[in-house]
Order: sequence, then C-alpha cells, then structure tokens
Amino acid sequence: MKISLFRYFVRQALANILDNRLVHLVGVGTMAIAFLIFDTFVLVFVNLNHWTVEWGRPLTMSIYFKGTPEKIVLESIEKELLHFPGVTIKRFISKDDAMETLRRQLGDKAGLLDGLEENPLPASLEIILSRDKAGDPLPYQMKRKLERIESVDEVHYSEEWIERIQAIMEVIKLIGIVFGGLLFLAALFVITNTIKLTIYSRKDEIEILKLVGATNRFVKIPFLIEGSIQGFLGGSIALIILFLVYITAITRVDLRFGFASLDIIFLSPQFTLFLLLMSIIIGFIGSTVSLGRFFRI
Amino acid sequence: MIQLFNVYKSFGSKNPALIDVSLTVNKGDFVFITGSSGAGKTTLLKIIFCAEKPSSGHALVNGRNLNRINDRELALLRRRIGVVFQDFKLLPRRNVFENVALALEIVGFPLSLIRKKVHQTLRYLGLANKEGYYPPQLSGGEQQRVAIARAIINNPLILLADEPTGNLDPDLTMEIMALLKEIHIRGTTVIVATHSQELLKDTRRRIVTLSKGRIV
Repeated sequence: MKISLFRYFVRQALANILDNRLVHLVGVGTMAIAFLIFDTFVLVFVNLNHWTVEWGRPLTMSIYFKGTPEKIVLESIEKELLHFPGVTIKRFISKDDAMETLRRQLGDKAGLLDGLEENPLPASLEIILSRDKAGDPLPYQMKRKLERIESVDEVHYSEEWIERIQAIMEVIKLIGIVFGGLLFLAALFVITNTIKLTIYSRKDEIEILKLVGATNRFVKIPFLIEGSIQGFLGGSIALIILFLVYITAITRVDLRFGFASLDIIFLSPQFTLFLLLMSIIIGFIGSTVSLGRFFRI
Repeated sequence: MIQLFNVYKSFGSKNPALIDVSLTVNKGDFVFITGSSGAGKTTLLKIIFCAEKPSSGHALVNGRNLNRINDRELALLRRRIGVVFQDFKLLPRRNVFENVALALEIVGFPLSLIRKKVHQTLRYLGLANKEGYYPPQLSGGEQQRVAIARAIINNPLILLADEPTGNLDPDLTMEIMALLKEIHIRGTTVIVATHSQELLKDTRRRIVTLSKGRIV
C-alpha cells in the first residue's frame, strides 16, 4: 500500500472519529466496561493460578503418628519414602518438640497448656516433595500407602487445599469462558452499531467516493481502522483502570492484613499485549460485520 | 465509446424507466439527451456510469460490457468517466480543494502531485481563490464549477452531466455550457441530459430525445 494512501486512510479514520465524537465516546466507554469485566476475570484467574503453582511447589507432607513411633518403625518409613522420586526427609517432630513449638507460638498465653494432663499433640514426620507442577498423582498415592501403616494416624499435604482451589478455578474458568463469550458478543455489538452509525452519517460521501472511482476496499479501509482504533481505546482504558484498581488494592491488602505471602500479581506484559491485541481484533471484526451489511444493501 | 443494445430497465413498477434503448456515442461526440421529467434521462446516464444495471440488453462503455463487470473493474472504469449532477453532490464538510482532490486521492497520487493538479484545474475553472471555501459558502454556479473540476481532474474519456444547469440562472447556465463545450474541444466525449429547450435552441449538436423510456 502506498504511503500516501495509508496516510489518507488514517486521516479519514481520525476525521470520522472526530466528526462522530459522541457516538464514539459512548462506544469506547461501553467497550471499556465490557473489556474491564473480562480483564478482571482474567486477572483473578491468573492470580489463583499463580498461587497454586507457587504454593504447591515444593509440596510439604506431614505424617502424623499414633503415639510416639518406635525408632525401627520410623527408619523403615523413611526408607520406604526415599523410594519415591524427589522426596527429602525434612525432620521428625516428637510430641515434646510439637508442644515446645506450640508454647513458643502462644507466647504469653503458654500457661494455658500447663493444665493439660498429657500431651495431646501427635509426633510427626515432615517431608518435602520437589515437583515440576502441581496436580501430579504422586502425593495422593503416597498418602494412601502411608495411611495403611499401623502406627500412622493421618497424612496431610499442602496440595489438598490447592486441589480445592483448582476445582474453584475450573468453575471460574468455565464462568470466564461463558461470560467472556457474552462480553465478546456485547463488544462486537457495540462496535458494529457505532461503525454502522458513522457509515450512515457518511452515506453521501461513500456514494461520491464510489462515483469518482473508489474501490470497495478504498471505502472500507478507513472504517476498519476506525473500528480498530475504537477497540484499542476501549481495551487500553480497561487495562489502565484495572491497573489502577490493582495498585490501590495491593496497597490496601498490605496495609490491612500485612499479607506478604498473598502475592497479588498483575498481568504479564505479554498477556497485557495479547488482551490489547484482542480488543483491536474485536474492533476490526465489528467494523467488518457492519461494513458487510452496508455493502450488501 | 458508448454502445447500448436494446436496453430495458425496470424498477419493478408498471412503467419501465427504459424500453428497448439502443444508442451509439462515438469518441469525441457531444450529445444532448432530452425529454420531459420522468422520460428516463437520468436512468440512461446511470446505466452508462453503472449506478444501475440494465434489466435486459447490453451496455458497453469503453469496450467493457457493464453486465459482466466486477467491483474493481467498475471502479477503474469510473475513473475514466466524469459525472456532474444537478445537485452538485459536493461534500459540505470538505473545502473546495478537498472536494476536487478526492478524485486523485482514490488513485493514490502523492500529495505534491495532487496539490499541483488541483491548483491547475481550479485555475482553469476560475476558482483559484476559492480553494479554502466550503460548498455552502459558494454560489450555485461556483458549486457546479467545483463539481466539474472534480469530474475532469482525472482527464476522463467521458463526461456525463445530468441537468448541470437545472439549479442555475440563465447567465450561469451559459457559463457552465461554455465550460462543457471547452472540455469537449479538448477531446472529451460529453453527454448532457437536460429538459431545458432553451439549451437546445440553435444547437447543432446531436440530440437524443426520450419519451416514456423510449428513444423517439
């Protein structure tokens, strides 16, 4: 495409936008809201995914015993565990160690424990499993095998609740897909109608352009650029608002709860770029749809 | 240059707009098409610049059969046909320069060449000092001259004028007709549709008369 033509198309698209300021303003605003809802869903999903990956790796497993295990039993369990790949024995916590730890954690209120006739805390063995990804079946297999041992009371591992979060994530993913699809259609509807209005407002101009020998492509391109610009603006505004809300939210969370471990992340630059590209594509598709209808008339 | 063979055009109503119209216009001709209101003059011009397709029959313009022309070929053909209307069809939100430049922008000429050609054409039509004006700021005669400038800036083979003086007073009418004759002398085939008998008085040009869609 010749530079002079491209310049003409961009100039026309910008002139179209300026001439129909109000229509475009409403269009961009509505699209920004639709994109904002969708982007928020994506951000929540990305964070949940981030937490499960971060917290699930490495995985900690605690094996609780009935009473104090005999040394020989403990050794055979340790030997058995080391057969599994990526297992490191962290430490054995006796009933007394557990009580000592609890006392330390209670601090001033440790006196409450003085009334206990016997130590109710179980002895436990802590192991660490290093894995590439959360969700592999090994921890569950280990848990089942260990719980069959006579002296073992219970086995807990950090992934149990991660699995619960993953189930929630599946639901969120499903809602996201359905909701995202609806928002996609809504954004498409908005852009289609905005472009349709600008096409009708420039009907005479299109007629004259065709009269002096403009090709369909020549007439259409400025409208496609116009739709893409609208999509870009809607998408950008949504991302800027989301970023500002994110900045405010993380500051608040830090202040209120001191949640250092609740690490809220924003969308990666690549993901941000992808969402922006998607808004431009939606704008482009919306224009194509309305132009298709118009040129069929 | 233009050949119509048994062209019939109906818009679905009882009375067809054109019935069995056959016409040949050679290169360099100046032809008047006349007839009362509703005789089919505008429809005939629309067939020639392919704003309408014949319901039956064939129309050939510059060797192209208009029944078998695709969008792109049509656009290219229209660049060789200048059209002037009674209501000027100028863009009110674009100034004189921009209205005339439109015909060159679609071809993708560089801006420097567009400027040069537009200046030349506007000077030729006596509009050199009106470049920055918007159509509503111009008189009827000036607007029609701008429309003619837009129609001839690409050096078209054919110039079609549909009631070009319909909205103008007698002085301006003579001015526009003189301009069309000058364009014709420069080698352009000119077809003027008019119902004005005044324009046809004393002319030695070829006159095609339409009545109720038929050539009489």
